[in-house]
Amino acid sequence: MATQTKTKNAAKLDRPLPLTTTAVGSYAKPDYLTKARSEFTQGKIDRAELDKLEKKATEYWIRVQEKVGLDVLVHGEMERGDMVAYFSGEEGGNPIKGMKLGGLVRSYGNRYYHKPIIHDRLEYPGPMTVDMWKYAQGLTDRPVKGMLTGAYTMVEWSFDEAYPTRREAVLDMARIIRSEVQELVKAGCYYIQIDEPAIHTRPEEDFQLAIEAMHATVDGIDAEFHTHICYGPVEKVYTEMVKLPVKQIHLAFKNTDFSYLDLIRENGYPAGKDLGVGVTDIHTRFIENVDEVKDGLRRTLELLPADRLWILPDCGLKTRTVEESEAKLRVMVEAVQAIRREIGA
Amino acid sequence: MQTTVVGNYPKILNRPKPARLRNAINKRDRGDLTNEELAQIKDEVTIEAIAEQIAAGIDLVTDGQLRWDDDQTYVARNFKNIEIGALQRYLDTNTYYREPEVNGPVSFQKPTLAPDWEFAHKNSSKPVKAIVPGPYTLASLSVDKHYNSRERLALAYAEALREEIQALIAAGCKNIQINDPVIAFAKEDFKFFQAAIVKLLDGISGAETGVYTWFSDCASILPQMLELPIDVIGLDFVWGRANWDALKTVSFNKKLGLGIVDARNTRLESPDGVAEAIKRAAESVPAERIYAGPSCGLEYVPRETAFEKLKVLVEGARRVEGVPA
Repeated sequence: MATQTKTKNAAKLDRPLPLTTTAVGSYAKPDYLTKARSEFTQGKIDRAELDKLEKKATEYWIRVQEKVGLDVLVHGEMERGDMVAYFSGEEGGNPIKGMKLGGLVRSYGNRYYHKPIIHDRLEYPGPMTVDMWKYAQGLTDRPVKGMLTGAYTMVEWSFDEAYPTRREAVLDMARIIRSEVQELVKAGCYYIQIDEPAIHTRPEEDFQLAIEAMHATVDGIDAEFHTHICYGPVEKVYTEMVKLPVKQIHLAFKNTDFSYLDLIRENGYPAGKDLGVGVTDIHTRFIENVDEVKDGLRRTLELLPADRLWILPDCGLKTRTVEESEAKLRVMVEAVQAIRREIGA
Repeated sequence: MQTTVVGNYPKILNRPKPARLRNAINKRDRGDLTNEELAQIKDEVTIEAIAEQIAAGIDLVTDGQLRWDDDQTYVARNFKNIEIGALQRYLDTNTYYREPEVNGPVSFQKPTLAPDWEFAHKNSSKPVKAIVPGPYTLASLSVDKHYNSRERLALAYAEALREEIQALIAAGCKNIQINDPVIAFAKEDFKFFQAAIVKLLDGISGAETGVYTWFSDCASILPQMLELPIDVIGLDFVWGRANWDALKTVSFNKKLGLGIVDARNTRLESPDGVAEAIKRAAESVPAERIYAGPSCGLEYVPRETAFEKLKVLVEGARRVEGVPA
């Protein structure tokens, strides 16, 4: 038996897996944490108490993912309310300098949120996500992804009172997200997911800017970058989108019944990139059956080999209950295991 | 020149003031408030929204559309064969609406807008403009499971919406704004957008009608828009800057809805900036034919910001007119 010459890096897979399983980012907060967050806002409990409960919930989700059998884990975002607001002044976060939360704006129906405001030139405030990543990675010997929101989405989903143009705001924001990436890498993180769900907001006008911002965020840094792109007119941006300088792009395949496969068939998919395939719909309580997921995987395997595919839910699972999320992950892993056997991987 | 708004107004106040409508809807959903009690609160907050526009100095107000979840479903849900479907992102915003699903022939059943207008009119010292969803935009943002043709769906919506307009005019409404923003994003559809507007306004008289667009420019279709059988063309000069140049190239024979205060950002304009923009537009359109307003509905910014923006708009407009603020 060969002697181990190098300590295993828990944050990185030893070798590429066929159909690597992972998740997109968020999970539902257990009731005790939701309650504690509101008590913290009202000043009834202190930061240390909230911190303890956030860690407890994070450990819960790490164990769930291990038990279900995911290969690469997420920490679950128990400390975050919203993916932009967390970096912009949400209670408990370390906000980017120059950002604050604004008044309430309606998102739909009777739902309102505090939309962030860029009120001054942006500056990096020091590590925003590193402690929680370190804590989560310390709990497990499977890799845990670092989770950030991309510069374009950060700016697009905020008001901007400080910059003359969106371009200047986005590129300044990219420098800040890059600093956080560097801190994560310094801490030992290898897989870093930079979400850009707003990337297709203005395809003609802004897509090059979004790509430029991603370059400014990741270029020259030794880590593997993934990006999650949500619902929206993916077909309009596909040929540009695949130029994003990341190793992996993941898309919500299930939500569109795998119609994105047609885009890949018609336009190809770059040789150097992995594809993240969303196989369970996160907007429905309904739990897909294993055969349905297997069918999606088989169709995808007609186009790309197993070692270039990562399998995940369509999006973050924070809108689903704890039980629904577990059930969806279980179905996903069971289907992946069956297909691995089928293809002799 | 007059000042106006482009439809909706933020529904709730910010802390520490109570978010009355939001709280009331939550209570109703929990079963702690009856629908009648909720309707009463909707009336009260509508009166407040009208009063706020008037306090800011707006000449032509709306009811703020506080009863509306979105432009797509508020009127269409009362048409025959419409069901309310999934959430969709609204154009290039991070705001969502529910898609009307068309399951059979669309038709008008009972007026939705006329009773709202009458209520607002009774509670306003200024004229109240009614907001009507545009048939083309409504068809573009619906799920068509019946007509298999967006054009035929748009014409069917136009017939049904015409009855809303007739009811508004019968109630005494003199100003009608038709919301058709999608045409600015799909100018190639102009012919069928036009057909829908023509059908919508067929035989309509007795009120000033306008079609409003936002979030983008109408530069390449502006000459054709000036031939529509309508009195006012509303354009967004903040998010559709190309409208400025287009304005110089046409002979603007209608009234202009001049969207110059950014209703999608909290950055506050200055009265001087507003005055300058109005003067610039007045080089192409006589000031007495200008309605100065925000770039779109104000619901994209918090309530307090909306009010501040309207005050700046009015102050800027008064500087142009030489009226002391």
